[in-house]
Amino acid sequence: MAESNFNNLPHDAIVVEGVSKQFGNITAVDNLSFTVPRGELFGIIGPDGAGKTTLFRLLTSLMHPTEGNAYVDGLHTVRDYKLIRQRVGYMPGKFSLYQDMSVRENLEFFASVFGTTIEENYELIKDIYCRLEPFADRKAGKLSGGMKQKLALCCALIHAPSVLFLDEPTTGVDPSSRREFWDMLTRLREHNITIIVSTAYMDEASRCDRVAMMNNGRFISTDTPFNIIRKFDKTLLAIRADNMFQLLNDIRRLDFVDSCYTFGEYHHATINQQTDENTKEKMEQILTSQYHHTNLHINECTPTLEDCFILYSR
Amino acid sequence: MILKHLLIKEFKQFRVNPFFPKLIFAFPVMIMLIAPLIATMDVKRVNLTIINHDNSTTAEKLIKTIEASEYFVLQSIETSYQKGMEAIDYGTTDLLLQIPEGMERNLNAGNPVELYIATNSVNSTKGSMGSGYLGNIISSFANDLTLSASTIAPPINISVQYLYNPHLNYRLFMVPAMMIVVLILLCGFLPALNIVTEKERGTIEQINVTPVSRLQFIASKLIFYCILGILVFTITFLLGKSIYNIAPYGNIHIIYFAAILFMLFIAGFGLLISNFSSSLQQAIFTMFFFVMIFMLLSGLFTPITSMVPWAQSFTYILPPRYFVNIMRCVCLKGSGLADLWFDFTMLTIIMLITTTIAISTYKKQN
Repeated sequence: MAESNFNNLPHDAIVVEGVSKQFGNITAVDNLSFTVPRGELFGIIGPDGAGKTTLFRLLTSLMHPTEGNAYVDGLHTVRDYKLIRQRVGYMPGKFSLYQDMSVRENLEFFASVFGTTIEENYELIKDIYCRLEPFADRKAGKLSGGMKQKLALCCALIHAPSVLFLDEPTTGVDPSSRREFWDMLTRLREHNITIIVSTAYMDEASRCDRVAMMNNGRFISTDTPFNIIRKFDKTLLAIRADNMFQLLNDIRRLDFVDSCYTFGEYHHATINQQTDENTKEKMEQILTSQYHHTNLHINECTPTLEDCFILYSR
Repeated sequence: MILKHLLIKEFKQFRVNPFFPKLIFAFPVMIMLIAPLIATMDVKRVNLTIINHDNSTTAEKLIKTIEASEYFVLQSIETSYQKGMEAIDYGTTDLLLQIPEGMERNLNAGNPVELYIATNSVNSTKGSMGSGYLGNIISSFANDLTLSASTIAPPINISVQYLYNPHLNYRLFMVPAMMIVVLILLCGFLPALNIVTEKERGTIEQINVTPVSRLQFIASKLIFYCILGILVFTITFLLGKSIYNIAPYGNIHIIYFAAILFMLFIAGFGLLISNFSSSLQQAIFTMFFFVMIFMLLSGLFTPITSMVPWAQSFTYILPPRYFVNIMRCVCLKGSGLADLWFDFTMLTIIMLITTTIAISTYKKQN
């Protein structure tokens, strides 16, 4: 079985202790500490420029931290980088396989540089590779976006890594391929592989065991998706009317509204704690009589991870 | 083991490249067939104007002799210096020969005679070579005159023998140089583009997280371009041998030994530049700059001994200098390893230094 390749693995697959990375004046990763237990599917969500890619490069030993220590499988990312590279799989955000080589050639090549063969770990990639097999002789550069991601995942898995790093694996991939990709990740957990995945899509984050919300190089909240949503302690209203732009400005003017932002075809507004129960009616009354909004709909709604992210990152 | 797979990868990538495989065949063939015909320093068909003040039989004979040579095209015969200078000013003639009044009379009386040559030296090679040829023709003409006029042998008789290239065939000199140019361009530029392409496409990210060490990574590329270089060099060598009959005495093993050392140097140098470049443009321009230096300071086209002293000393750290010398000595003189030990030692040392730097400056982390 694939996971028997590495013995005596510590309980925590990843331990990060006060890691910072600076580029000149810019702090990409700011005094970050967290642990990821073995076998967890750990998601990092955050906007572009939050420091996700830098964090991945630090953990995969491609970069040295300015401060602090990080351990993967108990191995120090700077001192033991050679050992780390034998046991992690990394899928960079940008497609980085050889576009001028075929699907099979890429897979064979990455298997061979890890001193293994496709057959040896076929079990691990079988589910994913069977979709690619009809295109085995096609050049990697000529694959569709979703197929490229599957091939990249196969190449990152071919040496049966104990920890898998996926940097925005589904960016630029159509929704059904994205769903398929996450189904594959979920199945990979059966092999006891620890997976660290970053994404800018909040809906994907809810499929992780635990989620870290990252902004400006820091984790603003780390918990299970359920707990993060449960901790959302404000009333959330979804509001719609004919003149959406005017509506946004008008809601923001209300003194009992904490914040308001566009959310799909609705505006979401969070309400200050102190206000009483009938905020909804109060808001409805002001928006129709004072601001003359037509076709107004106001519903109380349950928060999503995105609402949590917006609330916490303010 | 990993090295073997890395090499296979390089070959696969090279094979499917739409341009490079054609390039390594077409480029040497083009250079070897055409360049030695174009890059010639033999000066021919120099336009000549003669100002004849003498009008004697001897002057007539001299003019006939000059006309008979293939080097000059007699444009006109003038009677005044003024007219001749005008022709040079207008560019209708390159060379002016003035025959003084009373040349024949003075010669018969045994008095010295001075002839005057003026050249248009806008093209300095044409000017100096043309006047040189003309001088040679006149002195041999004068020799013949003295020999026929008296039975006494001329006081000094200079006889020049051109060793190793008896007919001063310019191609014997140029063809080895062209073989070197092909190696510098192909084995220098292709590696310079290689790593930087992996950087631009992002494939280096994926390689860097594998256990492939930088020694293996760079070595795979060095070996690959060395194999490519041997192929290219063989093409140029076979063409040189069959068309220009170069290296009639030279030992082919010594030539290949030197070529492989040089390929390793130039490929290592290309990879070194690739390591430090973040874009293709940067790599190309940097490489181009150094290739210019290699060509100008290696003695490929101009002799090192005529450079200013500091430039001469500088050439000692440039491997092309040694490779050029080895190629010429082996191809023209048939020199052996024992004669060229200094060049081989220096070539090896600088090659080892360059490849070591190329390996150690390849960064897998930052």
